[in-house]
Amino acid sequence: MNGDINDMKQPMDNFIVETKNLTKRYRPDILAVNGLAMRIRRGEVYGFVGPNGAGKTTTLRMLLGLVRPSAGECTVLGEKPGTPAALARMGTLVETPAFYPYLSGRDNLRVLARLSDTPYSRIDPALEEVELLKRAGHKFKSYSLGMKQRLGMAAALLKDPELLILDEPTNGLDPAGMAEMRRLIRSLGRGERTVMLSSHLMGELEQICDRVGVVKNGSLIAEGSLDDLRHGAQLRLKAEPEARAREVLEKIEGVAGAEPVNGYLVIDASPARAAEINRILVEAGVAVSELGPVKLSLENVFLNLTGEEA
Amino acid sequence: MLDALAAQLLLLRKRAATWILLCFWMLVTVVFAYVLPYFAYKGDIRFRARTGGVLLSVMLPHNLVSSLLGGFPAFGGIFVLILAVLAMGSEYTWGTLTPAFTQKASRLKVFFSKVLALAIAIVPFVVMVYLLGYIASMLIALKEGQSTQPPDLWLLVRALAFSWFILAVWASFGVMISVLSKGTSLAIGLGIIYGLVLEGVISAFSRQITLLGYLSKIFLRTNSYSLLSPLGVTFTGEGPGGFSGSTVSATQAAIVLAIEIVVFLAVAAAIVRRRDVTGAS
Ligand SMILES: Nc1ncnc2c1ncn2[C@@H]1O[C@H](COP(=O)(O)OP(=O)(O)OP(=O)(O)O)[C@@H](O)[C@H]1O
Ligand SMILES: [Mg+2]
Repeated sequence: MNGDINDMKQPMDNFIVETKNLTKRYRPDILAVNGLAMRIRRGEVYGFVGPNGAGKTTTLRMLLGLVRPSAGECTVLGEKPGTPAALARMGTLVETPAFYPYLSGRDNLRVLARLSDTPYSRIDPALEEVELLKRAGHKFKSYSLGMKQRLGMAAALLKDPELLILDEPTNGLDPAGMAEMRRLIRSLGRGERTVMLSSHLMGELEQICDRVGVVKNGSLIAEGSLDDLRHGAQLRLKAEPEARAREVLEKIEGVAGAEPVNGYLVIDASPARAAEINRILVEAGVAVSELGPVKLSLENVFLNLTGEEA
Repeated sequence: MLDALAAQLLLLRKRAATWILLCFWMLVTVVFAYVLPYFAYKGDIRFRARTGGVLLSVMLPHNLVSSLLGGFPAFGGIFVLILAVLAMGSEYTWGTLTPAFTQKASRLKVFFSKVLALAIAIVPFVVMVYLLGYIASMLIALKEGQSTQPPDLWLLVRALAFSWFILAVWASFGVMISVLSKGTSLAIGLGIIYGLVLEGVISAFSRQITLLGYLSKIFLRTNSYSLLSPLGVTFTGEGPGGFSGSTVSATQAAIVLAIEIVVFLAVAAAIVRRRDVTGAS
């Protein structure tokens, strides 16, 4: 549906979020976001992943017009961030949910509904969606962390937004709550709605996201579907006889490693060279029964990506 | 704007602190204007023999305005300053500007709807005090068999309007210092020190030191008292909140106070519009 070829033909405004060289320097010595370039397509669920302090929240705040970029630009829903036109079509949850502690959950949503021209009739369905209806009349300060998080989610859903921006939405939830939140996000991401969510857990994004962007030190260091990212620069193969195979492999230029792992030989080589390597082995009299790219676990992908650079 | 205003009024109305401040302010005023003077009048016989007549007449309904008005520049201002700081400063301490600024309403709309809600919220801080004062003075008049003649209506109307105006200056001041300090604690502390101590001390020396004299001419209380003087109120320099500084003409005071409201709100609005909104502080 969202094939790359198709996308290239489509107009620019089909990117729901687009940033160019987005930069934020809080103080001369704190460069929180550094030349970030990112594009989010209509209808996709986009994971924004990076270690603590990578600049995720700062980026999201810039997309909401809460924080002014020091340089670069961004458009959200084709509008300037923070304008009523953009905000009216997006629902957000940034960092820990912030609400008025002395108001009930429902009254908190009433305040937000008034500020967004949303009818009160949408409040209870939103509370129902996050299973908070029973406690809706209780004061926010009496809520557990998970309940606060769910109220934040209800607030984000209030406007029935085209774009949802969620900053670590599973923060503070128990395992059941996390699973439930993932299910909710996945169901929200179906159809036309675009969802952007940040996380520092790659694995968490696995069942949810169509694409992810990996951010480190304020820059986007990788972007693509999870499958794209998982296919690292490693190949694994089954070959007989193994000793002869290693001998041959070590002589091929640009190939390194050839370590036996779980009955496979794993080599550092681009998956694009698979056919060539296969031919060389066969010509050298080695029988190759399997040859393909190594699928890394998402956590490994993440660690490889974020750990390598200084 | 009406929707945003309704949101801000909901925030003030449902907050216990609003009602506690209102009740406490009413109580303080009535106790100092009626209850204590009345007991002094009743209890102390020598006192009664010498000045009893004068004291009692001050407590009668037709003197309502001069009995109550003096409390507004002193304590009323402080109560309303706290109200405004709590309303504005808490948005920073709770981090609630993040959701407020990401709904749809622009930052300035959110800000000015809050200011407007405060302007409405201080109406009961005026009306309820006069109402309660009137009830107290009626009770005293009936009990003592004195005249229940009501206060002059035109005087009362002006007193209500000026009282509101003075509270509005203090509320604007509270809004500005809570925006500047991004919170409540420092703003309340500094506001109270300024209102109860600093201004009083500087005003007291303002006759000796020329520079302080100029400075005190822009002070909130100097101008508040000056504005109220034509309504027949006299002030003494005793106790906290007492005033012994110089005064200016009522017209000048009104202009200075109006400029101050504009300046306080403009400074706060400019900061609110431009400053980055990060998490709770
Ligand atoms: N208000 C602020 N003032 C100064 N520096 C800030 C501010 N907010 C964030 N920073 C700094 O900017 C950098 C990026 O922070 P940010 O909160 O965007 O990271 P993050 O990716 O959301 O991290 P986490 O996963 O911990 O939430 C950090 O070095 C942080 O210390
Ligand atoms: Mg963060």
